[in-house]
Amino acid sequence: MSTIGIIANPASGRDIRRLVAHASVFDNLEKAHILRRVLLALDAMGIQQVIYMPDYDGLVERALRGLKLSLKALQLHMDMWADERDTTEAARRFCENDVGCIITLGGDGTNRAVAKGCSSIPIVAISTGTNNVFPGMIEGTVAGLAAGLVAREMADVKKFTYVAKQLEVYVDGQMAEIALIDVVVCTELFVGSRALWDPRRIQEIVLARAEPDCIGMSSIGGLLHPIGPRDAQGMFVRLGEGNTSVLAPVGPGLISRVDIQDYRLLSLGDEVVLEPAACTIAVDGERQIEVYHDQKVTVRLTNHGPLVVDVRRCLQGASRHGIFKIKTLGHKFSGKM
Amino acid sequence: MSLTSEKMIDVYETMVKIRMFEDKVAELFAEGKVPGFVHLYAGEEAIAAGVCIHLTERDYITSTHRGHGHCIAKGVNINSMMAEVYGKANGACKGKGGSMHIADVEKGMLGANGIVGAGGPLACGPGLMAKTLGTDQVTVCFFGDGAAEQGTMHEAMNLACCWTLPLVFVCENNGYAESTPCSYHCAAKNISDRAVAYDMPGVTVDGTDLFAIYETAEEAIDRARRGEGPSLIECRGFRYYGHFEGDAILYMTEEEKEHNRARDPIDNFKKRGLERRLLSEAQIAEVDTRVAAIIKEAVEFAEESAWPDSEEVFTDVYVNYP
Amino acid sequence: MATRKITFREAINEAMRLEMRRDPTVILFGEDVAGGATLPHMEGENKEAWGGVLAVTQGLAPEFGRNRVLDTPISESAFIGAAVGAASTGLRPIAELMFVDFLGVCFDQIFNQGAKLRYMFGGKAQVPMVIRSMIGAGLRAAAQHSGCLYSIFAHIPGLKTVVPSTPYDAKGLLSSAIRDNDPVMFFEHKLLYDMEGEVPEDNYTIPLGVADVKREGDNTTIVTLGRMVHLSLEAAEKLAGDGIDVEVVDLRSISPIDEDAILKSVKKTHSLVVVDEDNPRCSLATDVVALVASEAFDYLDAPCKMITAPHTPVPFSPALEDVYIPSVDTIVSTVKSLRE
Repeated sequence: MSTIGIIANPASGRDIRRLVAHASVFDNLEKAHILRRVLLALDAMGIQQVIYMPDYDGLVERALRGLKLSLKALQLHMDMWADERDTTEAARRFCENDVGCIITLGGDGTNRAVAKGCSSIPIVAISTGTNNVFPGMIEGTVAGLAAGLVAREMADVKKFTYVAKQLEVYVDGQMAEIALIDVVVCTELFVGSRALWDPRRIQEIVLARAEPDCIGMSSIGGLLHPIGPRDAQGMFVRLGEGNTSVLAPVGPGLISRVDIQDYRLLSLGDEVVLEPAACTIAVDGERQIEVYHDQKVTVRLTNHGPLVVDVRRCLQGASRHGIFKIKTLGHKFSGKM
Repeated sequence: MSLTSEKMIDVYETMVKIRMFEDKVAELFAEGKVPGFVHLYAGEEAIAAGVCIHLTERDYITSTHRGHGHCIAKGVNINSMMAEVYGKANGACKGKGGSMHIADVEKGMLGANGIVGAGGPLACGPGLMAKTLGTDQVTVCFFGDGAAEQGTMHEAMNLACCWTLPLVFVCENNGYAESTPCSYHCAAKNISDRAVAYDMPGVTVDGTDLFAIYETAEEAIDRARRGEGPSLIECRGFRYYGHFEGDAILYMTEEEKEHNRARDPIDNFKKRGLERRLLSEAQIAEVDTRVAAIIKEAVEFAEESAWPDSEEVFTDVYVNYP
Repeated sequence: MATRKITFREAINEAMRLEMRRDPTVILFGEDVAGGATLPHMEGENKEAWGGVLAVTQGLAPEFGRNRVLDTPISESAFIGAAVGAASTGLRPIAELMFVDFLGVCFDQIFNQGAKLRYMFGGKAQVPMVIRSMIGAGLRAAAQHSGCLYSIFAHIPGLKTVVPSTPYDAKGLLSSAIRDNDPVMFFEHKLLYDMEGEVPEDNYTIPLGVADVKREGDNTTIVTLGRMVHLSLEAAEKLAGDGIDVEVVDLRSISPIDEDAILKSVKKTHSLVVVDEDNPRCSLATDVVALVASEAFDYLDAPCKMITAPHTPVPFSPALEDVYIPSVDTIVSTVKSLRE
């Protein structure tokens, strides 16, 4: 049976960056509408079952309201924390259920939480967060079509997905967190409102991806030396007075001067020893761990991240193989690519 | 974050004062010593403390029926508060307001309010005053998730944005409008989403996390002070006590109560302050002891205070009435 | 003091203008009090589109600017509440609630907030604001734009309620209301706006709670207010032709109310007719009759009479509305009936 897992983060797109930068409120009605388009596409693709993470806003239920679908939508039965632990737990359950594909609605943080629970199932990541590198701005309908192709094994997973890089954060030798894009040493003492927006409070950045055409920490590295999702490289950047400064889009509408002390490229497997004093470690743009003077923090770049569906390539492949031609459709999507 | 060691101890003291005050009032109510309706703020301390620490005495707040926490965080005298809850002549309102109407205009506290959603329109007033007279005063409007469904809040947010008033709307979403869950009464589910409709920033924060509230409120208040207009902060938290004292809280499961206890705003703040060594066990013990004495004294003050003179029924209706 | 003839509308406008000149904390807001807010061709020069729906606030935005004369959204709760909040923190706002019938959408802010703050706060707050609002039938404006309803406000402790009848009174009473430190409801009958009268050019005040005997007489006391003062005076002229000498007492303010003036007149004339355009149940009319019945019963030679609107909403059709409004003929026949 073809099954899709859905995780929609009801909390994304509403943090302090609406005050300190110029981010929009990503309202949940819009998320529900995206989900509705996803579900309609999945149904059209002949997906038989959708399992979804429950959330306090009932996003998927809102999306399902009034829709007449052939697919069955089941809610996971799980205890709720109303924070990212729910996402990780849902992803773990999807792994157990061996779903064909996971669709996420959220930001880098949401996908990081998914990766913590499951990295073997291909993810179609739709951005509904603030500044995201990992998920793309994909139309829900298209995302649903791509996920359908993957879950029904009409698309060769090897061809249309890639393995994301991952940054593993170790505190005193214990793995404490992972990140998909960046790990940052921030001089703030508390996690607080989580977001990062002031480069003066950032000391060190480790990047799995350095994207000049994204906003956030990744852009700082990206403007020094671009590193894409499939490049077997990462980067370590130390901020502070040095020979280089970049004008970087560190947040939505927030373009700041960032002074670079030095930077170097990393290879897969490389480990960086960070030099935090009392500070917080942010992963994928959110302060996450409060660390202390006597703690040792290291970060390792690996290619153990989740499997990511390249939606664009997937649908281009479908086009080349005529999968959406009506004649083929008549055979209930029997094509393969 | 501008949260220095001194401010840490300040906000801790505020939170502890609120908690001990509320626990004491609950106890006194159960003993039959406190008349009337009482709505307690325990569990929501981080919100009042994390917001009001950024305000000066010249700034204003409007409050709700659950207003004790706002009063304490805005600096209203504890003795006069307790005496007011008792209905004594020494009360903040001479015993004429009670728990639901404690006010101290001199301290910028424009009154707890028995009408859900009434504070929004009221808050536009000091906002308009500051704008008209060209002062840098900011007004914070505290309201609950229940009040969010009142038309008055819609009108007030819209008016405040039309007039670019120096306001911050702080929604204390404790999950229940009386006994009705927010998931039922709020069609859009997220109150902060509504900020979009009024063209202001809308932020959701954890209403039990002092640090998150502190940081967010600071930005919103600064923004208002700079003349950039209102913003909306939705704080998602919980309350320990019922809607009113006497409420058996049948609408909350034991699991939910357990979950709430694990999120206690004061415990978590204390723990992290200690870990960071911005607070010490000695300081905490000192505050706890001192505040316990303050509350004890407040009860004694209230109990020893006289009842209002019967003539007081007739005064204070008007400044002047021929 | 130099006087000249101006209209009731101009007198109200002048009171606001002079008070705003005198005190920078007086501000005015309401729906369309200027009109056209933020439109580039109006804003620059503080031009106004309307100056109030019936032009009562005309010229104030051009003189005082839009920071002190503010158009509002159609959000009566919000701006009446803002008036309460602003008044308790240092301004003297005048809020215009266009028609009194709209009280239903903002009553909480008037009666639970504005009226009660001072009392609930143990006297440690004051709310010096004025809510101006139009009242009265006769414009064929139907049931939701024609009521009087002032009795409802007089019922509420904490509010003062003023209903002027002439341009002179309107100006002096409004000046007092603006300077007063309590919330004042100030009601303007729409049919009086074009009425002319002698009004001093300078600023002056008329104390709230002091009635004015508009016509002296010995035979019957008519206690009335607002537009009904003029109908009563017309009736009095007719009755004078029949040898009946009526005294017309214009209350001007119904909370506070000038009980002494009512009792003094009734003790002189020994009979009472109340003429009131408001609805009759629990009303000003019943209040005045109750006062006289309890304090001056022994002076009465005849039962007290009430001439009021019927216990119905205001109808639309001219044929019906004319029946609704108390008439001169009814006043004449009622006064005559006392002598039968």
